[in-house]
Amino acid sequence: MSSTTPTTGIPIGKPSGDGKRRRIDPVDAGVRWLDVRLGIAKNGRVFLDKIFPDHWSFLLGEIALYSFVILVLTGIFLSLFYNPSTAEVIYHGAYAPLRGLKVSAAYASSVDISFGVRSGLVIRQMHHWAADVFVGSIAVHMCRIFFTGAFRKPRELNWIVGVTLLMMAIINGFIGYSLPDDLVSGTGIRLAFSFLLSMPLVGSYLAFFIFGGNWPGDGSIIPRFFILHVLVLPLVIIGLIGAHLYLLVRQKHTQFPGKGRTEHNVVGTPFYPGFLAKTTGFLFMIGGVLWALGGLAQINPIWQFGPYQPYQISYAVQPDWYMGWLDGALRIFPSWEFVGFGHTIPFEVFLPTIIFPGITFTIFWLWPFIEAWLTGDRAEHQLLDRPRDRPLRTALGAGALAFYFTLFSASSTDVLANFFQISLNSVLWFFRFAVLVVPIITFFVAWRLCLDIAGTQGAGRRKRANVVVRSAEGEYEAEKSADRPGDGYHELEPTPVPAFIEVSGRPEPVGVGDASGIRRIPRRV
Amino acid sequence: MRILPRKVTTNSAPLRAMALPGLVVATVALVGLLTSGAFAGASPHRSAARAADLRAARAAAPITYSLPPSSDLSVGQQLFEANCSSCHGTDAYGTDRAPNLVGVGAATVDFWVSTGRMPLADSTIQPERKPPRFDRRQTLSIANYVASLAPPSPAAPEIPNVNTAGANLADGNTLFVLNCAGCHTVTGAGDALADGYFAPSLHKASKTQVAEAMRTGPGNMPRFGPGTLSDRQTADIVAYVVGTIEHPVNRGGLGLGEIGPVAEGFVALLIGVGGIMLIAFWLGERA
Amino acid sequence: MSGVTTEGDGPTHSPVAAFDDPHLRPYAQHPGRAEAAIGACLFAGVLGFVAYGITYWVGGQTQVEGITLGVGLFGFGFGMAAWGKYLMPKGPFVEERHSIEGTDAEVETLSNAVAERGKAVFHRRGVLGGLLGLGGAAMGVVLAFPVLRSLGPQPKKTLFVTDWKRGAHLVDLNGRRITVNDLEVGGALTVWPQGFVGTSQDQTMLVRASFDDVVTRPGRESWGPQGYLAYSKLCTHAGCPVGLYMEQTQQLLCPCHQSLFDVLGGGTQVFGPAPRPLPQLPLYIDSLGYLRAQAPYDQPVGPGFWERS
Repeated sequence: MSSTTPTTGIPIGKPSGDGKRRRIDPVDAGVRWLDVRLGIAKNGRVFLDKIFPDHWSFLLGEIALYSFVILVLTGIFLSLFYNPSTAEVIYHGAYAPLRGLKVSAAYASSVDISFGVRSGLVIRQMHHWAADVFVGSIAVHMCRIFFTGAFRKPRELNWIVGVTLLMMAIINGFIGYSLPDDLVSGTGIRLAFSFLLSMPLVGSYLAFFIFGGNWPGDGSIIPRFFILHVLVLPLVIIGLIGAHLYLLVRQKHTQFPGKGRTEHNVVGTPFYPGFLAKTTGFLFMIGGVLWALGGLAQINPIWQFGPYQPYQISYAVQPDWYMGWLDGALRIFPSWEFVGFGHTIPFEVFLPTIIFPGITFTIFWLWPFIEAWLTGDRAEHQLLDRPRDRPLRTALGAGALAFYFTLFSASSTDVLANFFQISLNSVLWFFRFAVLVVPIITFFVAWRLCLDIAGTQGAGRRKRANVVVRSAEGEYEAEKSADRPGDGYHELEPTPVPAFIEVSGRPEPVGVGDASGIRRIPRRV
Repeated sequence: MRILPRKVTTNSAPLRAMALPGLVVATVALVGLLTSGAFAGASPHRSAARAADLRAARAAAPITYSLPPSSDLSVGQQLFEANCSSCHGTDAYGTDRAPNLVGVGAATVDFWVSTGRMPLADSTIQPERKPPRFDRRQTLSIANYVASLAPPSPAAPEIPNVNTAGANLADGNTLFVLNCAGCHTVTGAGDALADGYFAPSLHKASKTQVAEAMRTGPGNMPRFGPGTLSDRQTADIVAYVVGTIEHPVNRGGLGLGEIGPVAEGFVALLIGVGGIMLIAFWLGERA
Repeated sequence: MSGVTTEGDGPTHSPVAAFDDPHLRPYAQHPGRAEAAIGACLFAGVLGFVAYGITYWVGGQTQVEGITLGVGLFGFGFGMAAWGKYLMPKGPFVEERHSIEGTDAEVETLSNAVAERGKAVFHRRGVLGGLLGLGGAAMGVVLAFPVLRSLGPQPKKTLFVTDWKRGAHLVDLNGRRITVNDLEVGGALTVWPQGFVGTSQDQTMLVRASFDDVVTRPGRESWGPQGYLAYSKLCTHAGCPVGLYMEQTQQLLCPCHQSLFDVLGGGTQVFGPAPRPLPQLPLYIDSLGYLRAQAPYDQPVGPGFWERS
């Protein structure tokens, strides 16, 4: 048995020639143990040195990732208490106005989580806030990818994975907030039944199969939603996230043009320890924000809504924000229904709720190929665009955002009419025109802004103040003021991650407390 | 992990910024200790004595209808002529500006005047609640006077006195959602109807006003007479409105206006995503 | 010392850096101060965690739980992130971006392998290949059967009918039969056929528009006795209950997408996305004064679907 390390020849655990006993380094021993079994040493160092570019907009995807982690953790907790059943029970819990009412077991268990489980309401609300933030951050991240052109070759596949993730997140969110079977979300499920019903040829069959009969079905929709929400869709999402991250690691992250950055390198922070510390800290900060929201800002107070009954309805029922664009489309769409040849196609439901999102996601999926076809650009891109340098793409994206935002606003016609004290009818007509006019105006404004910013010197750069100094002779001179932290960052030429640090004229093994905190790991030559 | 020798430092922004969270945490820990057991879930346990009280309360009439004493009539007539006759006519038969009030009953008049909707400030599609012009006695006397202009009839309800002591909140909940939430929303926040009309918020209504509105159906509101919703059912709804609707259990924190996902979406996007983006802006680099 | 090459081409992977290399300096201009601030944050995190633990132990309260653990998590995370940003070497560091593509020769080898081996496998075995494809397609089709068909019943005539029959009594949520004197003019109530209270398909909005008979459309002369009018409560747009009756303007407004129906005009859709009027239930008043249905609805209730003609 060799008592020396296989590569460096440094003896471990045995006295060396000079009689001193070397300490067994625990990290070394641990790495060696794993290496024998997993082979981590061959590429381990390279992976620790892996560079992550630092731009703040590259963190938006992490917001989505960490929101999802929080969703899974809080979701597991909730699933320990939630009862996915529509069986009727008499509510006997802590909320007096419901006591004695016949409600579904799903509703009763959700109210019990809110009133009878310690920290249950915080966790339930954190779960709901995290879901809203999850979809929101995916949308914001998607915008960043779009406006900087990060979806271009070779990253089209990752874009497709990402758009699919957006769709899965929206669907899982809708199913998730429908689980408590309260009046507001139950109305949303009734609408989903009608959307299915509106499909030509297969609509009534699909609706009856999925729901187990005519609305409200045989009660199986809640347990079916439950298994979709906690098992099927999370597995799909986790798989897609895995693919998303794998592609990112394999192809490496894109970066903005800048000093020392080319199409053939990546500049930023190494994974260990810098990026790991920052990203873990970010995870906890996101957790803190969402937990605080969960405790301080009420969301989805299902006990106030009461249980779902198919003959009950409330006014001011909007879906959660990421379904708002569909609800708005449904409200403003004209009442066009086709009746003929013994059949009906309710276009006023079918078009805005089935065809329109289908077209939306098809265009999203295909966008990298559409843009490549429009611009004729088939080169690989590792450097990002500044949005201002691609005015047509930026303006199109801004117009599209304005379009979906207008639809989303149209979902709150009644609330807006009440808030601004104008007639509901006027608000509706306003949105019917706004949805066509606002995107066009936004397109032109964005286009113009891009051209203006691109023509401005030093746009977006942090300016350093000029200090005006007067000499004894009365001359004025302007001097740049002192550096602020971070100013000098961009002026250094990037350098590879070192393995050794020269302390006294020769490379020294440096222990804890050295300048950089980089441990010496012997390298195989 | 120090590279430079430790300098004597002056107060710096990071330290100042850190003092605040520390102070907040310390205060909150103290508050947490002091408010120990803050949540005490209401127990459904009832003693036998309390059950007997409830039975007695429910046996009493849920609503009694009455008119104020007729000695108020002359006061009411004076107030009517001074404040109402210019639009409703000296005989209350109405003009082209205002409807006929003969036969509407005391409850109708009490509702409109006690909620401040009448006297009307300026002509509008639908008058809104505002601070009432008259005190309770004066309001009742006006109502009494107008009621006296026509013989009593079932179509002209008198002032309801609602006894909510024995009310069943769960029944009130179900009936409220079935009959009222469609216009007033399930949290009673109110919302816009078609053609410029609106269903007002219920958060300031008194027991009497809720019952009066239900029985008289002001404006576009349907009229829920005793044949539609019995006195017992009406009292249950009134109890639910003044109890739960006006004092909502916002156990989860800030109510955000109680209009549901619209406000929640704003908070999630602006404070949730926006706030976290600000953190990302601090954490990352500028281009 | 420097310039020892490693795997891959391109710039050398330098193993040695000078001690005073600015890349190794921390980002913070005053690392001592930064360290103190970060320590305070992490400590605030610890305090927050402890405070949450105490809050939970003494019974918990949602807002206090929210602040304590929220501050705890946030402070802890902020300290960690600030450590990573301000105290670690600021860089910037660089690594090479090796192309992941293979050479032309490698690509050709792979595509050749796939094509040639495939040809060898299917050479003169086209029938087998066809059967393979056929089997795959058939399997795909029939495996869809249990996933869809086993879930629920076929629609058949369910969407076309309700439980309203000739002579059915109108009853309210408590099962009480509605009599001619129950509603005042301007009153509204949700009703069902007796024995079917609470169903979705049968829900009906009963309103009283006047004391006199109301004729909403030609052919419906007897449908509105003494001012009682009954309409299906299922909106013809997307199926929400149309529970909003405006008695002065005599309209029914659907709260979901604001479709507006004219009560006196036979439930005609006058505004909003609804495509068809609300079906009207013909009523009559029997000799005992009860309100009853003359006949079922004359058309399917609720939103549109393919088979509806």
